[in-house]
Amino acid sequence: MDYQYARSLIEASLDPLVTINTDGKIMDMNDATAGITGLTREELTGTNFFDYFTEINKAREVYKEVFANGSVADSPLTLRHKDGKLTDVLFNGSEYKDDRGNVLGIVIVARDVTYQKRIASELLDAKIKAEKATIFAEDAQLKAESAAGIAKHATRIAEDAVKAKQQFLSNMSHEIRTPMNAIIGFTKVLLKTSLNEKQIEYLQAIKISGDALIVLINDILDLAKVDAGKMKFEQTPFKLASSISAMLHLFETKIQEKNLKLFKEYDNKIPEILVGDPVRLHQIILNLVSNSVKFTSEGAITVSVKLISEDKEKVMIEFKVSDTGIGIPPNKIDHIFENFHQATSGTSRLYGGTGLGLAIVKQLVEPQGGSISVKSKVGVGSAFSFNLHFHKTSENAASEIEIIERDVQVKNISVLVVEDIALNQLLMKTLLDDFGFDRDIAPNGKIAIEMMSLKTYDIILMDLQMPEMNGFQATEYIRQTLKSDIPIVALTADVTTADLAKCKSVGMNDYLSKPVNERLLYSKIVSFVSKHIDQSKSGETEQEDLFEKKYKYIDLDYLFHRTKSNKDLLIEMINLYLEQTPVLLAAMNEGLKNEDWGTLQAAVHKIIPSFSIMGISSDFEVLAKKVHEYAATMKNIIEVTDMIKKIETVCLNSCIELEQELNIIKLMKS
Amino acid sequence: MININNKHIFLVDDDAVHLRLLEIEFLQQTDYAIETFKSGELCIAALDKQPDIIVLDYWLDGIEKSAMNGIEVLDVIKTTYPNIPVIMLSSQDKIEVAINCMHHKAFDYVVKSETSFMKLTTIINHIFNVQKLEHNLNWYKSKM
Repeated sequence: MDYQYARSLIEASLDPLVTINTDGKIMDMNDATAGITGLTREELTGTNFFDYFTEINKAREVYKEVFANGSVADSPLTLRHKDGKLTDVLFNGSEYKDDRGNVLGIVIVARDVTYQKRIASELLDAKIKAEKATIFAEDAQLKAESAAGIAKHATRIAEDAVKAKQQFLSNMSHEIRTPMNAIIGFTKVLLKTSLNEKQIEYLQAIKISGDALIVLINDILDLAKVDAGKMKFEQTPFKLASSISAMLHLFETKIQEKNLKLFKEYDNKIPEILVGDPVRLHQIILNLVSNSVKFTSEGAITVSVKLISEDKEKVMIEFKVSDTGIGIPPNKIDHIFENFHQATSGTSRLYGGTGLGLAIVKQLVEPQGGSISVKSKVGVGSAFSFNLHFHKTSENAASEIEIIERDVQVKNISVLVVEDIALNQLLMKTLLDDFGFDRDIAPNGKIAIEMMSLKTYDIILMDLQMPEMNGFQATEYIRQTLKSDIPIVALTADVTTADLAKCKSVGMNDYLSKPVNERLLYSKIVSFVSKHIDQSKSGETEQEDLFEKKYKYIDLDYLFHRTKSNKDLLIEMINLYLEQTPVLLAAMNEGLKNEDWGTLQAAVHKIIPSFSIMGISSDFEVLAKKVHEYAATMKNIIEVTDMIKKIETVCLNSCIELEQELNIIKLMKS
Repeated sequence: MININNKHIFLVDDDAVHLRLLEIEFLQQTDYAIETFKSGELCIAALDKQPDIIVLDYWLDGIEKSAMNGIEVLDVIKTTYPNIPVIMLSSQDKIEVAINCMHHKAFDYVVKSETSFMKLTTIINHIFNVQKLEHNLNWYKSKM
């Protein structure tokens, strides 16, 4: 019974179980053994156990080990089926003995581990794959990081490149403009000489090309300015209606040449005077209308200005320029406001242009809070419209200088031109000679000021950028130090609003942009000079009174600066001056009385340095130097006496003012 | 108190306003030890202090008839201490004055103006640089 039970357990095992005698022959087995070898029990019984393993020697060693150690555990071996199929097993064995302890053989359990092996190998595979994936991912991450670095670097390079491009464009345009102005200017001059028909034709061609180039350069400069955020919009009162009319006037010849019609629709509800930037508005409409003229070969161009809305403070106005030109294809319409973009690349070949116009228009409209849109149909025409709002004002618009054509009585006008570039000097010389004006040229501000002391001029034309002393400094000097109100007109190539504001602030009366428009130059000179003469005739006495009342002899800026506003030092310096000056004045008078020229000279000499220290006008310094000079030669005694009187007055007045200042400083100190 | 390490400069001018202003500027903007003299005589009396540089007004007489003029003072300095560089100051912008100063061995000539302090410091720095170079050069020569 017990045997039966044990036998059935053994037979039920899926692992092969075998008993082997001491000679290595199979004695008994279960079904699993038969199944794994593919042989019957009868065939197996009595055969050599080791023959069924792939590695017979290894199997024998394991078998020996069982006898040596009494057992063996989990030794890996492979069994072979009679058909060749292999089964991986783990070999476990132990001795079995009879009742007296004699070893009869061994019992072997060979566990089938095919499944585990497969799992293990799959696991290994998965692990390798996972590792590979990890490496790959790490690699990818590294690549991504380096790519990000490269991208960043590339962005910086790109940004730098854009900046460099703008700088380059701006510089180059500026450099090109100066010689271009000379070319156009001289072409105009040449056109007025006696020429034959062919020559006139050629010169016209030069002039037209030059004008076109200047327009292009100005466009590029504008764009560079916009890109660099330097574009500023003025807020000045102006008359919209006359501004538009004047501008459309410019197109008359062109429109007649092309046999087109120009219509203007102007809404009369628009207030007469608005506040905005008329120069930029001009530029916008000019660009749009010139585009329309360029792309329209027959039909009409309509410019309409409409009031959209109005409240207490401002108005919204819609400007529209429509034409019957070639139109824009729908797929291109989104790109036409981009830089260097025309609807088709063929367009520029046919119609010319750089494709900058609309880009500039957009850049001029949007920063002012406006918007621009376009409607177009190929072959029918285009309509560009933009909205801008303007403030209302009760102020009067700055009157544009009227073009004066009248024959002026003031024929002997003498003009001082301050200009450093030889070509421009020659051009101005030629123009002014043509007008019949007397003219002198100074290559910089410093020389101009020197020349002003030698000769009286009616008007100064002042270039801004010059070596030694530029136009701003020179004007400041003329206004502040020479106290002259001579009309000064700036000549400038780069009309930025910042510069114009600076011109005004240093005391210039007006400006002319280069290339100089001959008629404008003439009318400005004439109107300023005649105005100036009228003014000085009527205002002479009044002005002198003002001068007496307001004039302050001293200016302690220099001393404050030198002493770093140290009050003790200031007090000390002023006291020194107050002590020293009366002594010197006494010596001066003594010298004059006794005709002791040496003493007079020395005293005047000593007084000179303190003038500049106390901020006394350099006019008096010049005066003192003259006395000094005359005293040395003992000439012009009457004049000297007069001059010494003046110097004495100045010094005494300065002393009075300085005593007042002294009290103020002392007060501030306590 | 005169600091031993600082360069020592004499300023000589009978124009008290100008002299004081110059002194203020030197004291505020440089590390030099400054001594001022109202006349050439006072300057000569202090010469044995052997300043590194003397800034000397050209026209020291005139009001004080008996006073030495700048050129006379310059001559005295140059005979006693020929190595002390002297920079002449004058309110006269005249070439003859400048040439005269140079003939009497002045190192340089500066016209009094708002910028004279700047010019002076430039010249003084220049002098010290040259002295340093000369010093180095002599040292190297003695080594060779």
